[in-house]
Amino acid sequence: MGLWRELDEDERVLTTSDLVIHDEALTAYVAKVLCDTVGADRCKATRVYIIREPAINASMAPNGTMRVFSGLLLRMRSEAELGAVLGHEFGHFERRHTLNHFKARRSGTDILAWASVLASISTSSSIQRSNQNIQLQVYGDLYRFGRNQEREADILGLSYLNQSRLRPQAASQVWQNQMAEIEASARVKGLSKPNFSTIAFTASHPPEAERAVYLADLAQPDAANRDDGAERYRAALMPWMPLFLADQIKLNDFGASEYVIQSLAQGGWSAQLWLARGELYRGRGNPRDLVLAAEFYTHALEMDAGLADAYRGLGLSRLKTGQRSEGLEALRKYLQLKPDASDASMIRMMLPKEVTSH
Amino acid sequence: MTFARCKFAFGLAVAPALLIAAPAAAHKLRQGGVAVPVAASTLTVTPSRDWNQLSGTIGKNTESWTLDGGQLNDVTFYGGIPAGKPLVKERNKKHQPLPKFTRETLLIEVPELLERTYRTYKELAAFRLLSTDPAPFLGTEGVIFRYEFTDKDELTRTGEARAAIVAGKLYMITFDAPRLNFYARSAADFHALADSARLQSLR
Repeated sequence: MGLWRELDEDERVLTTSDLVIHDEALTAYVAKVLCDTVGADRCKATRVYIIREPAINASMAPNGTMRVFSGLLLRMRSEAELGAVLGHEFGHFERRHTLNHFKARRSGTDILAWASVLASISTSSSIQRSNQNIQLQVYGDLYRFGRNQEREADILGLSYLNQSRLRPQAASQVWQNQMAEIEASARVKGLSKPNFSTIAFTASHPPEAERAVYLADLAQPDAANRDDGAERYRAALMPWMPLFLADQIKLNDFGASEYVIQSLAQGGWSAQLWLARGELYRGRGNPRDLVLAAEFYTHALEMDAGLADAYRGLGLSRLKTGQRSEGLEALRKYLQLKPDASDASMIRMMLPKEVTSH
Repeated sequence: MTFARCKFAFGLAVAPALLIAAPAAAHKLRQGGVAVPVAASTLTVTPSRDWNQLSGTIGKNTESWTLDGGQLNDVTFYGGIPAGKPLVKERNKKHQPLPKFTRETLLIEVPELLERTYRTYKELAAFRLLSTDPAPFLGTEGVIFRYEFTDKDELTRTGEARAAIVAGKLYMITFDAPRLNFYARSAADFHALADSARLQSLR
């Protein structure tokens, strides 16, 4: 199996994938942040693809394809933070970690050859399916880095930031935020010990606390006053934030979602953030959650009275807490604002007849 | 729901042994015109044509059928999910809990419950509810909804589901198939199957 052929094939699939967000402005912006971080000369070899996946992840293949997941974009708060992660991934690429790893693991891939021989003489689809799973497993191993390589990429990534015009202290902040989110998620799930390896990007990385410390130490102290591009970042991501946030809220990870909302709200609460928080609480649906959800939807409507979905959430939350007439009133408003909503006929059925007639 | 992206954590050493082992349970033929109870419940369907019942299940109260293979067309029956339970079996109760059907869940929230389950179970973001409409099901008030999602195999699938809440339990039939060609090809077969659904106790 040829790695380069595989990678080119992967990229060919990527260019037409439904999972890639084909927004030229957003892609160009992320590519620009990468170039601002690592320098225009280095970044020339890179092609950026934004993948709609809620995981906090980014990766770079040896052929120069960089994948940036929407879950990462949701969590970064400035160009400097995004640059820290992209610079880290670029560090793996520049040091050819994936390639070296590939060579070292080559013997391990002999197993793929045997697996495909066995699968080809079998007629059972389930055996052929497990062959595919072995392929995934072997490739997964190939792309996993060792801790030393992670450290090397961290240091390289930080040196890019130090040389850039962005604020290098952001790199340490990324990991502090990440730890706090994982801890928040674990707390709500009732886990005594947070599992940092559940998140793809942190799985093989040095313990977050350690890396947050050395990244802070390595950041040039006199660069602490540099611009971190938070405003520009917020403006560029604005059109996509409601979608990325909704993708996170619906993942059934209450603690992490609440953390992300609170962290975004540090820049000021918006109607969209209150709506997202309402959806999160209504989704979990404990009696107290429903009362709070109604409160959050109300905050959203105070800021934007035309936010139809907030009326929907408010109506359903009120109905479920026994406030029938207030609930129906809110649902009526929802229909007035969004008469052709995808669930309009269903909502109409829930309303008493005399109301639906006019 | 298909198994498309189940993550098997086989160690490399055991993998060849698994390859040689024969599949444990075979799929079953479900003959057209023969009424059959599904998902170990009182939910009964009379298929208008032959279907294959897949041997694996994704949960205690589920059963999956297909025509050409689970990736190409998948009908999943949810036979009476009790309050407090998720739609499918949780892979990891503690670390990856799934949303639960509750006593308070409204019929109009069932599409959201399926959406949140798919997103969490399959770890995907590209899921869109297309429509939600009232439609009688199992002789009672029900909901019919359509959706679209892109799984990690980068294939966009269209889905349609019908659901009703009877005596505090959720009954639902879903149909997922690739948007291109496969959905349209078997939608009529699914509609006939869903229309034939009855609850035995109501007879």
